[in-house]
Amino acid sequence: MDRDIYLIGLNHKTATVEVREKFALTDCKHLEPGVVPVEGCIKEAMVLSTCNRVEIIVVGEGDGVINHVIQCWADARGQRVDDLEPYVYKHKGLDAVQHLFTVASSLDSLVVGEPQILGQLKTAYHEAVDRNATRVILNRLLHKAFSVAKRVRTETGVASSAVSISYAAVELAKRIFGDMSEYSAMLIGAGEMAELAATHLLNNGIKKIYVANRTFERGQLLAEQFNGEAIAFSDLFTQLEKVDIIISSTGAHEAIIRAKDIRNVLKKRKNRPMFFIDIAVPRDIDPDVNGLDNVYLYDIDDLKEVVEENLAQRQEEAQKARAIVESETQTFSKWLRSLELQPTIVDLVNRSEAIVEEELIKCMKRLDGANGDTEKVLRCAMIAVAKKMNHEPISFLKRRHEEEEAGDRYIDITRRMFNLDNDSVHGLAHGHRRRKN
Amino acid sequence: MNLSELFSLLIIVLYALGTLLIIAGTVLRKDQLKKLSNWSAVAGFALHSGMLLFAMMGSDFDLSKGYYIQFLSWSLLFIYFFLWWRMRLSFLGLTASPLAMLLFIGSFTLTTVQGKLPEEWTGMFFGLHIGTLFLSFGLLAMAFGAGLIFIRLERKIKTKEQLTDFDKDMPALATFDRVNHVAVMAGFPLYTIGMASGFIWARLAWGRLLSADPKEIVSIFVWFVFAWLFHQRLAAGWRGRKAAKAVIWLFAISVFSLIGINVFMPTHHSFIQ
Repeated sequence: MDRDIYLIGLNHKTATVEVREKFALTDCKHLEPGVVPVEGCIKEAMVLSTCNRVEIIVVGEGDGVINHVIQCWADARGQRVDDLEPYVYKHKGLDAVQHLFTVASSLDSLVVGEPQILGQLKTAYHEAVDRNATRVILNRLLHKAFSVAKRVRTETGVASSAVSISYAAVELAKRIFGDMSEYSAMLIGAGEMAELAATHLLNNGIKKIYVANRTFERGQLLAEQFNGEAIAFSDLFTQLEKVDIIISSTGAHEAIIRAKDIRNVLKKRKNRPMFFIDIAVPRDIDPDVNGLDNVYLYDIDDLKEVVEENLAQRQEEAQKARAIVESETQTFSKWLRSLELQPTIVDLVNRSEAIVEEELIKCMKRLDGANGDTEKVLRCAMIAVAKKMNHEPISFLKRRHEEEEAGDRYIDITRRMFNLDNDSVHGLAHGHRRRKN
Repeated sequence: MNLSELFSLLIIVLYALGTLLIIAGTVLRKDQLKKLSNWSAVAGFALHSGMLLFAMMGSDFDLSKGYYIQFLSWSLLFIYFFLWWRMRLSFLGLTASPLAMLLFIGSFTLTTVQGKLPEEWTGMFFGLHIGTLFLSFGLLAMAFGAGLIFIRLERKIKTKEQLTDFDKDMPALATFDRVNHVAVMAGFPLYTIGMASGFIWARLAWGRLLSADPKEIVSIFVWFVFAWLFHQRLAAGWRGRKAAKAVIWLFAISVFSLIGINVFMPTHHSFIQ
């Protein structure tokens, strides 16, 4: 059988953003019957398209699959194949499987470990399922990809630390304060990074956000966005008493907050800790603030350092993750091979013989004093029963295997029904299917 | 081996298991092991409680000096479980399990020494004296463990040093400070009650309040330090590093007073006379 899994795609490493834009398939979801229709040599297909990558995964038969897919892809975008081909990577068989697992585990991402890709892959898969474009192999492959991604997340530290400045700041705040819901933050000045940090703080459940901006109106706009409160810039120091986290990013030429100002504030706060995040260049907050007890100050360079350490750590963890992907690819290939008829029949017969032997031992224990003859007779009888039980399923499988489409499906069902792969299946497996019905 | 010995052995095994598991769980970063450690300590604690109660109910209740130490070990775990239950502070098991185990084992070196049973009418003050002081000792021990980790973590965050995996698994700084807060706010009143009831008992039993005993002198000194810390936390808003350091010193003096004085010095609190 020359049916195989193919993966054709491009990503941020093989193509520039212009090329990626030109060949993105994000807008082609409405296309019926899909970018790569399931017909002819294509048996199953799904498309993942994000701003950093396009991955087309198909199960196909014959030699022309790759060219056919690239043709479909170019057609969908109204472009020439020659413009697309140089940027495209083509994986077949286990290489394709491994690539998909790597992508799903976010090891191939621009920022290794970022979690969005898994969600995007899930969405893409569900679209393909809705379009009825997946069968046994892609279903199994994608579910496996999701579980590999989960394993990588829980067993390695690939996604465990912050790799953006604003997120690193929030992580630090959590290290100082713990549960955010009792604390408030203040933005001094507005800027993209400050807004991002504020968003992260809100997502972590911070109680309230105050905004102090030189132009009050601009501050008000920003405050509205975060459901917060704008305060006059001149009131800054009286308001500092109320807030625990201060994110400063003004365009001031020299420090606007110094230790001597904060000393009074601390007294009024009864020394409750304060965390200053200074992302302005030049800095807004005098470094001597960090010398005060219960006050922590991080400037942009400190945060950058944290991010770099975290990134280096992620790279290390990525090595571990690759080993997981490797071994899971092997597991999947074993299953793929078992989809053929003969191994399944052998497994089925072996399974029933194993059960016979197990039960025989129990029987002999109960039949105290029985001799070898009894054992022989018992074994014969039990094997005969097992054979008769297996006969119908096996001949059913043989009949179905001759029909084209159904063969894989029934073999897969048989394997699952008798649990020939010794999978552990938890109660909520395929929950999304159940909901739909 | 009689029943009491068998129980003691079982308790030691459970506490040792709890200690090993919490250390392994922290090093290997496995929450499962930490949870197991807690349950192992809980099992030991249940047996321990039963044993203490049984000894107290027994008709021939002889207050061996070892009994006090066993009770101290019990109080320590009692405080730990309370904090674990109320504040989800399972990392305190790192202090509680090993200390409780060591105290429990240590108590057997003193089982041969007999104390005298307090008179019926003074028994209440005596029980109050022991109970409250032991509970405040447990609170100090917890704040001591929390304080050590707090100081390490706080220094690292302040100086922007790279955090290790151990640091990353630890709770937030504010949580450690809350342990300190609870220990001081509840510990000081308990300690005060313990001292007062001790003096009342001394007055009733021996006819005098003070006897210039080394234990009494150190305890009064500890009370002053404790009172000062209580005041600073409450009125001056002390928190964080200063409060953590103060509790570490306070606990160190208490341990010195417990081991150094009760064992090695002539005192009416002596464990070996």
